[in-house]
Amino acid sequence: MKTERLTVHGIDLEVFRGGSGDPIVLLHGMRSLSADARFPALLSAHGAVTAPSLPGFGDTARPKDFDTIYDLVHLTRAILDAVPGGDITLVGLSFGGWIAAEVAAGGHPRLKRLVLVDPVGIKISDRQTADILDVFNRSPAEVRAAEWHNPDRYAPDFDEMEDGGIIRHARDWDALCLYGWHPYLYNPRLKDWLGRIAVPTLVVWGESDGIVTPVYGRAFAGLIPGARFETIANAGHHPDVEQPEELTRSIAAFVGG
Amino acid sequence: MQLWFHNENTYPFVPKEVLDAADSVRASLPGRLLDPKIAADLFHECMDESLLCDDVGINIVSIEHHSGINSLYGASPIILGALARQTRNVRILSQGTLISLRNDPVRVAEEYATADVMLRGRLDIGFVKSGDSEMASNNANPVGNLERFWEAIDLITAALKNQDGPMRWEGKHYAHRHINLWPRPYQQPHPPMWAATGDPDTSRELGRRGMVNSVVLRGIEGTKRAWNAYREARVEAGLPEAPLDRFAYAAFVYVGDTDEEGIEVGSKLLWFLNTSLKQAPQFSKFLPGRMPAEMAPQVYRTKPRPGETRVARPADGLIGMTAEQAIQRQIMFAGNPDTVFKQIMAAYDALGGFGHLIFIGRSGYLTHMEAEKGIRMLAKEVLPRVREATRG
Repeated sequence: MKTERLTVHGIDLEVFRGGSGDPIVLLHGMRSLSADARFPALLSAHGAVTAPSLPGFGDTARPKDFDTIYDLVHLTRAILDAVPGGDITLVGLSFGGWIAAEVAAGGHPRLKRLVLVDPVGIKISDRQTADILDVFNRSPAEVRAAEWHNPDRYAPDFDEMEDGGIIRHARDWDALCLYGWHPYLYNPRLKDWLGRIAVPTLVVWGESDGIVTPVYGRAFAGLIPGARFETIANAGHHPDVEQPEELTRSIAAFVGG
Repeated sequence: MQLWFHNENTYPFVPKEVLDAADSVRASLPGRLLDPKIAADLFHECMDESLLCDDVGINIVSIEHHSGINSLYGASPIILGALARQTRNVRILSQGTLISLRNDPVRVAEEYATADVMLRGRLDIGFVKSGDSEMASNNANPVGNLERFWEAIDLITAALKNQDGPMRWEGKHYAHRHINLWPRPYQQPHPPMWAATGDPDTSRELGRRGMVNSVVLRGIEGTKRAWNAYREARVEAGLPEAPLDRFAYAAFVYVGDTDEEGIEVGSKLLWFLNTSLKQAPQFSKFLPGRMPAEMAPQVYRTKPRPGETRVARPADGLIGMTAEQAIQRQIMFAGNPDTVFKQIMAAYDALGGFGHLIFIGRSGYLTHMEAEKGIRMLAKEVLPRVREATRG
């Protein structure tokens, strides 16, 4: 993937681009993507992928007072307006899945398909039960175990990372907290509007996801008319990192079919 | 110089093995570990210590911290209300309701106006930025905390000053359609305002606003950094030089009959540093918004890389300190009256003077009787000499 800059609504975005054909917009999850990430590269065999780093994440500066989900949803709509080509497949990972679902619930003239991978964004359980593991309130060890199927292989190891990677991680963490602190990673009203999603939708879930479990995933998919629900074995909250080939195969089948 | 008594009302009576096993002694210890009967005794002892201060001419700081053994004063306005009724003479500094944690600053302004009226104008208002585990305890987004802090101060100030009927506020973080305090504050246009910070950027803003800058347990160098920033900002803004009453230095203080007694009892105050600061990593090193992302490599890694200089947060350097080290770093003054007088004056001279000394006079296992003795000794044997030496 190539790292480029894209200006949308006056905001200078870091974007990763690759592939050709019908446009695919990929929204990152709790952490920004990178030019050498495996999944975007695999996905680019199936279309022209544009993967922006949302403001505050990665190498995209956050404009003053840009600090709500409302801002992110409007920006994403502007990104869909800006990418070249025809109808768009919108893919959202985790936190980006929430943004993608919000955009799709509102509708967009170029949106052709929606893919949500372990998304957050809705509230299912009773008021004393959290659906989404609170990554800002639980021990790092508990979060690590919940987040990954194979944490020893995939979880970030700060002692091994270079400064740039850690700084990027810290920026992502701050941005996620800013947007998602309260209510914690969900919009209390989104559940009632998911039924407005009018494009074919695939919901994919890592079987070992302990941040948001497959039970939550099934409920999420059940609220979107006609949505297909699939799970991926040997993957936690980030199938794009732990099983990029499987995830790509699943999306390719959905796009092709 | 004004002297202020500061007591966080700590609860040290949780077994050591429980504290050692817990990842955090703030925010997360189960409530069953607290005996309400002991807590009741502590509240009344601490109130009595404040009333003793009122008798001997030492001002009182009323503080707020949440959900930990480090302080039982979570519901700070209630303590302030009790002090407002019970005291007769000295000034009370509420330092303070943690405003960036409260959703409605107008309510805070209302509490402060009420307290100031009850106190017949003896209230000082201090602002504290908060952080760490209190973000979890109070459900407050740690990212943007400073922005809320300043907007809340602006809103509280405007609400206290307003005497012209309902006013409106439509800020970034707070919106209120009908602000009209009854009673308005006793002092006009509002009680004196302070803020506790050792962060030079925050001190700069305090300097521009002319608020009192209290610095807590930062020692001489850390305090100098803050106050230099305060003074520089005033010069840059073309404002007159700030008088010494804009600066408050805070340290542990214990005065005994002898040096041995002063140090032996005073060293009990260090429980605060050595036991009550432990916080889980998600509330400390990994808390979002706590430091610029550029500092993350040295904070996130478990061990430094070759040649890396570590910049610890201020509190990290305080854990595990002995009485001798604390005295040497000038965050504790302890000994007989003459020794403590000299220690205070050494800090005073090193800093070019200050108008207020806040003394942390009770913490941890230091008893009520010991605290009262320290207060009496300080008031009788040290305070007159300090006042004399710093007059003019």
